[in-house]
Amino acid sequence: MNAVTLNVDPYNLIITGVGGQGNVMTSRAVGNMLSQLGLHVTIGETFGASQRGGSVMSHLRISKTASWSPQIPLGGAHMIVSMEPTETLRVLKDYGHPGVRVITNTRPFYPVGVISGQLSYPKDEEIRAWITELSEKAWFLNATEQAVALGNPVLGNVIMAGALAGTGELPLERGIFEAIMTTRFSGEKLRMNMDAYDFGVAHVAG
Amino acid sequence: MTHLGHYPEGSRHLLMGNEAIVRGALEAGVRMAAGYPGTPSSEIIENLAAISKDPSLHLYVEWSVNEKVALEVASSASFAGLKTMAVMKQPGLNVAADYLLHLSGSGVRGAMVLVSADDPGALSSVNEGETRHYAKLMEIPLLEPGDFQEAKDMTRWAFELSDAIRNVVLVRTVTRLSHASGTVIMGRVPENDKQAFFKHDGFIIDPNEGVVMSPPVEYKHGEQHRKLKQAESLFENSPFNTYTGPDTPELLIITSSICSLYSREAVHMLGLESRVGILKIGTTYPLPRQLMKKHMAACDRIFFVEEVLPFLEEEVKIIAAECAADIGVKTFFGKKNGSLPMVGEMNPDKVIAALSKIMDTAMPQRDAAYAARAGAVAFGGSPHREATFCPGCPHRASFFTLNTALSMDNRNGFVCGDIGCYSMGVLPAGFSTLKTLHAMGSGTGVASGFGKLSKFGMDQPVLSVCGDSTFFHSAMPPLVNAIHNSSDMTLVVLDNSGTAMTGFQPHPGIERDAMGDTAATIDIPAVCRAMGAEVRVCDPFDLHHSRETLLELIGRKGVSVLVLKQGCALSPEKKSSRRYDMRVDETICAGESCGCNRMCTRVFACPGLVWDKEKTKARIDDVTCAGCGFCADICPRGAIVKKEVA
Amino acid sequence: MPILGSTELFDDVHKKDLCVDCGACVGLCPYFVSHNGKIARLFPCTLPQGRCFAHCPKTEVDLNRLSTWMFGSEYDLSALGAVTDIRKAKAGPAMTDRGMFQNGGTVSALLTLGFRSGRITAAALTSRKGLTPEPVLAESEEAVLACSGSKYMASPTLSTVMKESASGSTRRMAVVGTACQMTALAQMRMNPLEREDFRDPVALSIGLFCTWALDTRKLKHLLKDHMDLDSIVSMDVPPPPAQVMTFNTSSGTVDIPLSDIRPLIPKGCGICPDMTAEFADVSVGALEGEPGWNTLIVRTARGAEWVEDAAAQGFLILEAMPEASLANLKTGALGKKKKALLRAKEDNCLNVAPEAGRSALVIDPERVESLLT
Repeated sequence: MNAVTLNVDPYNLIITGVGGQGNVMTSRAVGNMLSQLGLHVTIGETFGASQRGGSVMSHLRISKTASWSPQIPLGGAHMIVSMEPTETLRVLKDYGHPGVRVITNTRPFYPVGVISGQLSYPKDEEIRAWITELSEKAWFLNATEQAVALGNPVLGNVIMAGALAGTGELPLERGIFEAIMTTRFSGEKLRMNMDAYDFGVAHVAG
Repeated sequence: MTHLGHYPEGSRHLLMGNEAIVRGALEAGVRMAAGYPGTPSSEIIENLAAISKDPSLHLYVEWSVNEKVALEVASSASFAGLKTMAVMKQPGLNVAADYLLHLSGSGVRGAMVLVSADDPGALSSVNEGETRHYAKLMEIPLLEPGDFQEAKDMTRWAFELSDAIRNVVLVRTVTRLSHASGTVIMGRVPENDKQAFFKHDGFIIDPNEGVVMSPPVEYKHGEQHRKLKQAESLFENSPFNTYTGPDTPELLIITSSICSLYSREAVHMLGLESRVGILKIGTTYPLPRQLMKKHMAACDRIFFVEEVLPFLEEEVKIIAAECAADIGVKTFFGKKNGSLPMVGEMNPDKVIAALSKIMDTAMPQRDAAYAARAGAVAFGGSPHREATFCPGCPHRASFFTLNTALSMDNRNGFVCGDIGCYSMGVLPAGFSTLKTLHAMGSGTGVASGFGKLSKFGMDQPVLSVCGDSTFFHSAMPPLVNAIHNSSDMTLVVLDNSGTAMTGFQPHPGIERDAMGDTAATIDIPAVCRAMGAEVRVCDPFDLHHSRETLLELIGRKGVSVLVLKQGCALSPEKKSSRRYDMRVDETICAGESCGCNRMCTRVFACPGLVWDKEKTKARIDDVTCAGCGFCADICPRGAIVKKEVA
Repeated sequence: MPILGSTELFDDVHKKDLCVDCGACVGLCPYFVSHNGKIARLFPCTLPQGRCFAHCPKTEVDLNRLSTWMFGSEYDLSALGAVTDIRKAKAGPAMTDRGMFQNGGTVSALLTLGFRSGRITAAALTSRKGLTPEPVLAESEEAVLACSGSKYMASPTLSTVMKESASGSTRRMAVVGTACQMTALAQMRMNPLEREDFRDPVALSIGLFCTWALDTRKLKHLLKDHMDLDSIVSMDVPPPPAQVMTFNTSSGTVDIPLSDIRPLIPKGCGICPDMTAEFADVSVGALEGEPGWNTLIVRTARGAEWVEDAAAQGFLILEAMPEASLANLKTGALGKKKKALLRAKEDNCLNVAPEAGRSALVIDPERVESLLT
């Protein structure tokens, strides 16, 4: 426990995306990894009605001392991990500040308003420019595409978790991730998950 | 596989609030649990059901037909001497309230806990009902866990308390606790194989062997009060009421539940640790008078942080008034004086703002230029995500049919709704088809009344919708009512084969029960026919047949029922299978010159069917499309083509 | 006047209860449908301009523009509109094997010639199921005969024509309908939105004389207690002084007083100034006092050619129109015009100032005044 260090306490991490993308799974996995180091982790989640194609967000509070509120105060995020580019912008509006760091999956998930042609969706370059402008450091990766290449779009979540680990912002350890995955998967599935994790780590490190 | 019941004593785990409640119940030695699904309570029964087959746990778990029945079922185990639990969301407590008044009057034998989950801010509800007043109304003790460890520990202790006072103990949780996760250290799950036996041949008022009932009322009511007083005295020294802060603070925050974490956050953010004290109450009703008195004596300014109604505020003010001679006159801040809003959920920011005002301290300011820029970027760059039905959802098809049938009928017909995914029928996702939206089963009750208004010249067709689970929960009595009272109405049962919104819990129409055993099924059309309704069953993905049938039914007098039967697109059986491969024939789709004004994507707006702005034609999104085939019937040119999947 | 979209159509016609279920807005798009004798809009459509609005005979119709386009002459509020010839007519010897006709059989004769001569491959007609009118696309002489007999219910006959036109079909059609439908059809044939893919499928438009139609649903409601609606064989309004409407059913004849029938006339019929279907190639009606004959008005060159050929080939027998009948017809037609224009003025549907909203009818105000005074 004492060996573990946090840059800030509590460290505030937001994992965001669109209902059905696997937000809950990712935040749980990251939370479990940190909890096993003896850290106090609180995860606040929105699900239920908002799951049906709506924006979803998990707030993770990571602390050496106590359980914190499951809602991060406005402007209080240290890191945003986003499964969907325009969701990153939505979260920055409320929780961003000049020092925030961001990892964004670049694959769009269009809202119904865009599908129906009533709303427009910004261009990839625009989104990248905005996110870069509104963060201290930003990483972009097409996790969905890579996940499909690895065999299953849901692995996008694991890639993003790996990318978060790759930033070195939080004491996330590959061994703990592997141990958690081993309780759920074996064989080929386990290997696919680890490949996805490693891809995420490598993408951000490289 | 290791599960919640197996985590060893002393181990640390990241648990969702609802999981912590489950673990607490297991540590108490719960034997029976019954409930009805409802966000944010569902995971409690779900988790118990998932481990109910573990022989070491001795559990019976069921999804009951509604919350009142769940409370009745759960109480039976108590009468037979077992530890038992009923679980529901707050609106369900309203359903169960009738029985609860009887139960609290009769008292219990085996320990019994009632968990009720509130949804402040109505994140997944259509109201923000408040559980705590029920404790007062029913005269039973109420506990409110303030974090994840407490969710476990207080649930376990609630059973001990119930044992001590021989009455039901109410535990209130909220969405931000039930659905949030935090670190919990496990306690011991006891060995227990107690036999159930209902003793009933003792003296009629014997609490252990007599008749279980609330009469003789004066005697039993008196006993109930004595027990409540007993609970209050136990609360005086409860470890669940904690104080942090200076001995004589400038301001005393009195708070409970998840608001205690918001309060701590606010004090921390404003750096007021040495000036403001936080009295976190876990035993909310009846409030321990001496404890309250002691803390109020140390401070003249008191700030209540709670959600939804000012329950603590009112209870504490009564004590303050009664003790005024001893503790002096206090100044109160809270919902009553407008320091905090009366409605909506709390969050750290609301508490920070209120606290900084009360303490006249500057709030930590966000970089204004950054906030303005981020706001502007999000305004233009994050298109709004409106809630919608999933691709392949039968409700979208059903509402399309309902809406167009009512338009064709052209008599200003309308649909009364209730609670389920299909509540989104009030939104554009459901073509704004629902015109009333109230409690479970209420659409049909309201429609039963509307269907009698022809006496006053109303000739609009009257419809209601309910889901399959809702049908069993509470739509049957109003349907009987409508038939008996010769109302003119049509009930449309949106049967998607499961309690879909809350995660596919079984119900009486499903051939398996909560524990996974095979169960007898009740056939909805047969029930309606037996009641005397004119009944039809259609596949909602067959637009023309469903619509013709509906038009025929709404043209009739009397009560009719249309069952639109098609499984939920997310159901485990359907999730990864497609009935049709869909594609848009670009040679037929005339795009913007068609005159259809993109009815497929603009009006029907299934996420699986997108408008290709470059080609100005509709396109199937292969990743998203669930292959239900319905959209093929919408295109006036037949450009959307379906091919049966081999 | 501007051509607007379905929102304005809905406001101007549906909300004001002026819709007469002619069918001119049905079949062009997925938004307007006819069900049980009433046009319904399924969802709002956001297009700023639509054929629905352009075709509708109850949105701001500029009768002068229509008349100029179709006949090359101004709309002058004369009793019978543009006329090149008026005759009494009935089915000729070439039609003797085609059975009995309610009146003279002139319409059936013109259509039969159309099919036999290859002038048409289909005819847009009206059938009925019980009392529900049903548009029919007849593709043979036999199918035409199945639709004969008067119907008094307002009927979405034009929906089949609109569907044909919108789908780019290559059929050549005759269309048989009432005045409102001929007005709508003429507006459609002008290609009001100047669409490049427009094709006029109409080979001949045959207008039917009409003093009023009946709201299908109200008629059903009225009659359901008097007879089995599915047993109705035919219906007729016998000439005065009968003052009844007669329904022949398989179990006998039922007379319903006209005083019960008149309240069933749609509001939109009340502002219709057109008794003889003035915007058709030819118009056909009963000939008062001579039950076996029709009145036939020829209005266009196309109509004249068709009628002459029908007479030459023995499908039609033509005779001179008796002066007295013609005078009576004109009196009746003018009477309808005056009544309609008065009503339209009262209801603020006629020549509304642009800043005050939109009209249903636009007619030279001087002509209106001189007719009404």
